[in-house]
Amino acid sequence: MNVIADKPEAHWLPSRHRFALSRLIAYAKLRRARAIANNAEHLILPIDRDQTAAEMNGVALWVFFTTVCYIAAVLPLILPAAIVAAIPLAAIALQFPIVGIGPIVRMLLGDGDHIKIISVITMALLVIASSYFAVSSSWPRYVAWFFFAVLVVNGAAALVVWLLRNGIREAEDRCAR
Amino acid sequence: MRGVFWRQLLRFAILHVPPWIEPIVMAFWSAFFLLWGPGRRGVMRNLKVIKPGSFGIANFFRCYRVFWNYAWTIADNVRFKELRTIPDWEFAGLDHFQAMQASNGAILLTAHMGSYDLGAHLFSETSTRRIVMVRAPEEDLETREFEEHHGAEGLRIEFNTRATELALDLLETVREGAIVAIQGDRVMGSISTLPATLFGKAATVPAGPFALAMAARVPIYPVFVVRIGRRRYRLVTSRPIEITRSRNRDDDFARAVAQWMTELEDVVRNCWFQWFTFEPYWPEAAS
Repeated sequence: MNVIADKPEAHWLPSRHRFALSRLIAYAKLRRARAIANNAEHLILPIDRDQTAAEMNGVALWVFFTTVCYIAAVLPLILPAAIVAAIPLAAIALQFPIVGIGPIVRMLLGDGDHIKIISVITMALLVIASSYFAVSSSWPRYVAWFFFAVLVVNGAAALVVWLLRNGIREAEDRCAR
Repeated sequence: MRGVFWRQLLRFAILHVPPWIEPIVMAFWSAFFLLWGPGRRGVMRNLKVIKPGSFGIANFFRCYRVFWNYAWTIADNVRFKELRTIPDWEFAGLDHFQAMQASNGAILLTAHMGSYDLGAHLFSETSTRRIVMVRAPEEDLETREFEEHHGAEGLRIEFNTRATELALDLLETVREGAIVAIQGDRVMGSISTLPATLFGKAATVPAGPFALAMAARVPIYPVFVVRIGRRRYRLVTSRPIEITRSRNRDDDFARAVAQWMTELEDVVRNCWFQWFTFEPYWPEAAS
């Protein structure tokens, strides 16, 4: 794994972000970032796509909120009670791809890192659930529309990131130097 | 929580949980482990001493924060072992850290906080000095085998079971210029101890690191690995504890222990949510 030492602005390296939208925002920040004061006496920043807390926590909250809404919608309770009940249920439901599908994947592919495949399966399940609610007439359709809007914006960001790939690489190289 | 099942479950999670739902998984399991009565009560009793006058309900939520930090810390440690993923590192007390690396043998004294293992791995990868970790062995044979099988490379780990033999080994290791890392905040098993005072209450600390420093004539560096965010740690190195020999050995040890306890108390006061002591630390807290 590559690391960058004593460059706080390397927090904004697009390579330290997973999703295209986040990479694009990071690139904009990196272009604006001049030498930021280094508060730490010595700083080591690894270049890893899952390193940024704001991005991962943000996506986790969004996915959790979406799942809570979907579960609340199918519970036979009044809305406030359904939302309260849906919070722990959503936390359990989101682990289904890991504990339900993870062992099958492991059995088929052997021991090792299966994060990518579980990631794809989880997102696919969310897309299926969102498709179901998006065409319904119940209130979670707005949540589902928002879900798809985020996917579309991220897709557009991926296109922009691809178009800017040379500029991004140069900015990253400058920062790493 | 002991037993190989939890280690296997954690390893499985590290290899299967997408990072973008990891915070939810962590929040859920941190809450689940609040059902672990002895651990929860141990943390809450210790918090009562660290934060005098605190309410039980507040300490219950603080206990959740301790479990939350512990979950992230052990996850980061296993992630490093399995996927070689390293977190962001900040250093404080860099002068002392560099002096330790340049020294011809030293004792690295730390506590059960942040990620001791991750810090030692970082050290072994960035330093030319050999580092030897001393730790309490896993009680369960299966767990011990699991840990040995899934341990990181480039790090020698010694278990503090065979006291006399180990003391001689470590003495030789330190004299050869290596750094011996020991957790010096709590006593586990039947090892020799020294009296101490932490948060104004009587406690005991392992005598080993102090005796080793005196015998090998090397300094003790208090080092703390503090988790400051998701996959972010700060390595804090404090000024060294020099054990000067005089005619009164007990006084020499008492001075060194007092300095260590001052450092420890300071860090635990500021980072109580990362002091992973799940048993009552003080005898009176246990009762």
